[in-house]
Amino acid sequence: MELGKLNQEYIDAVAICEIDKSTFAALGVEEGDPVRIETVLGSVVVRSSLDRRAEPGVAFIPCGPYANVILDSDTLESGMPGYKTMDAKILPAKGESILTTEELLKTMTEGV
Amino acid sequence: MNQETQVFDHIICPFCGCLCDDIRLEVQGNKITKNELGCAISKAKFLSHHEDRISPTIRRNGTHVEVSLYEAIGRAVEILASAKRPLVYGLSSTENDAHREAYKIAETTGGVVDNTSSVCHGPTILGVQESGEAAGSLAEVKHRADTVIYWGSNPQFAHPRHISRYVRVQGEYIKDPKADRKIWVFDIRKTITANMADEFVKIEPGKDLEFIGALRALVRGHPLDFEEVAGVSARQLAEIVEALKATKYGILFFGLGLTQSTGRHRNIDAAIRLVQDLNSFGKWNMMPMRGHFNVAGANKTSTWQTGYPFAVDYARGYPRYQPGEYTSVDVLARGEADAMLNIAADPAAHFPRQAVKHMSTIPVINIDPKRNMTSLIAEVNIPAALAGIECDGAAVRMDGLPLYLKKVIDPPDGVLPDRDVLRMIHDKLKKEVG
Repeated sequence: MELGKLNQEYIDAVAICEIDKSTFAALGVEEGDPVRIETVLGSVVVRSSLDRRAEPGVAFIPCGPYANVILDSDTLESGMPGYKTMDAKILPAKGESILTTEELLKTMTEGV
Repeated sequence: MNQETQVFDHIICPFCGCLCDDIRLEVQGNKITKNELGCAISKAKFLSHHEDRISPTIRRNGTHVEVSLYEAIGRAVEILASAKRPLVYGLSSTENDAHREAYKIAETTGGVVDNTSSVCHGPTILGVQESGEAAGSLAEVKHRADTVIYWGSNPQFAHPRHISRYVRVQGEYIKDPKADRKIWVFDIRKTITANMADEFVKIEPGKDLEFIGALRALVRGHPLDFEEVAGVSARQLAEIVEALKATKYGILFFGLGLTQSTGRHRNIDAAIRLVQDLNSFGKWNMMPMRGHFNVAGANKTSTWQTGYPFAVDYARGYPRYQPGEYTSVDVLARGEADAMLNIAADPAAHFPRQAVKHMSTIPVINIDPKRNMTSLIAEVNIPAALAGIECDGAAVRMDGLPLYLKKVIDPPDGVLPDRDVLRMIHDKLKKEVG
C-alpha cells in the first residue's frame, strides 16, 4: 500500500481470494488460477491463494476495490457497509484476466 | 547540498494507530536512506515517501491537465462555492491542525463532514455512546495485563509491532511475557495472529453477538440450555469464562472483524457490557485497534470542534449528528452529495460500488500526497506534504494519547501541508460566499 496504490504490487496484494485446500479441489483449479467471486451485486475476477489454516465455507479477500465492487452499499442505518459479511459464490475462471485498478474503476463507475 | 548523514531518533511512524515512537531515521541530503526499528510497512512508508506523488491538476475535456497550485485551489473554491450539499471526507492520515480547517470549510459551505471512522470504528463509537467507555493505556497493558484478547483483529498483519511492543515484552509486573500472560484470539478464521496465540477460539461468521451474550450469561452465573453457541461447545465456553474470571488485568483489543460484521455497533455494545461484567472479578479494559495513524485524532478533533465524533451535517448552519444518514457511504449511495472534498483518504478504493459510482458523477476535490484511485476520478487534485515526514503536527494513538509528529525532511518544491492548502481554500471561500 505504501509503495503506491495504482501499481502491480497493490493489485497482487488485494486482488486475491484466500481459500482452503479442499475448495481448490472442488473448483478444479490450481493455486494462483483466477477465480470469479459472485454476489447478488455482480462479480469480480481475482487470483486464488491457498490459506493452509483456512477451512471450507469461509474465504477472505483483503480490504480494497476488488471486494468493494461486489459489496452492497446498504449500511443498515449504521454508516457501516457489511465489509466482513458477504455471501458469495466462488467459480473457476480459467483464462480470465484480473482487471487493473483503472479498468476496475471504470467498471464501478460505468456499471458495466 | 549537505550530503552528510543526519540521524533522527525517536521519530513517530505515521502509518497505523500504534504510532510507534522509537523510529530511528538516517537522512542524506533531502532523502531518507534508512529506517531502523520500523516494521516492513513503516520502512516502505518512510523510504518510498517521495514516489508516486501527485501534481496539481484540473480535469479538462476528460483528461487531467497540470496547473499551478493556485489555479487548482481556485477551481476547488468554485466547486465548493456552487455546491448545495458538499461532503468533506477523510482526515485520518493527516494531522490535527488540518482537521480544524476542514471543519471550517464544512461550516462555511453548510456541508456534511465525516471521517474514515464511519467505515472502520464508527460502530465502536456508537457502542461507547450506548454503554460507556472502558478505556486504558497501552502502557498499562505492557506492565499489567495477564490476559490479552484480540477479537476480530489480526495485528501481525495490520499492526505489525503491536504484540512485540506491548504484549510479548517484559513489563513492570509481568516478568516473563510468555509465562505470565496469555494471548487469546477470537476470530472466524485462523489468522497468522491466531497461529501464534496461546488460545484460539473459532466463532461462526456473523455470530459474535450471540457468542458474547452467552459469555455474559455464564460470567453472571446463568446456566446455558445449549450444547453449543456460535460453533463453540458449552464445555469450551465454560473454560473460557473461568479463564476470564481468573484474570487479574485483562484487555480486549478488537478490530474490524467485530465492527464490520453482522451486529455492527451492537457487537461493541455487548463487548463493553461483557467487560463491565468482568470488572466484578478483575480489572478489565478494551481498546479498538485503530487503523490509520490519526483516525483516533479525527474523532477527537471533530468532537472538540463540532460536538460530534463523525457524521456531522452543517446544512442548518449548526452541527447535527446522525450516523446512517450523514455518514459518507449513505450520503453518496443516496446520490445526495453534489461535490466532495476528500483529504488524506482513498474513498474510491474503499467505498462500496454504489457510493463510488456516485462519486464519479460529481466534482471531487482530492488533497493527498500520492496517486490513488480517488485521484483518477477527481476533478481537482492538490498535492500535500506527508504529515510526520514532511511536516509536523499532532496525532492521536489508539489509546487516546496525543503525540507530536516531527518533520524530518522538506516536501517537494511547492507542496504544502494539508492545513495550509485547506486554509487557503477556506480563506478564498469565505470571500466568495461570505
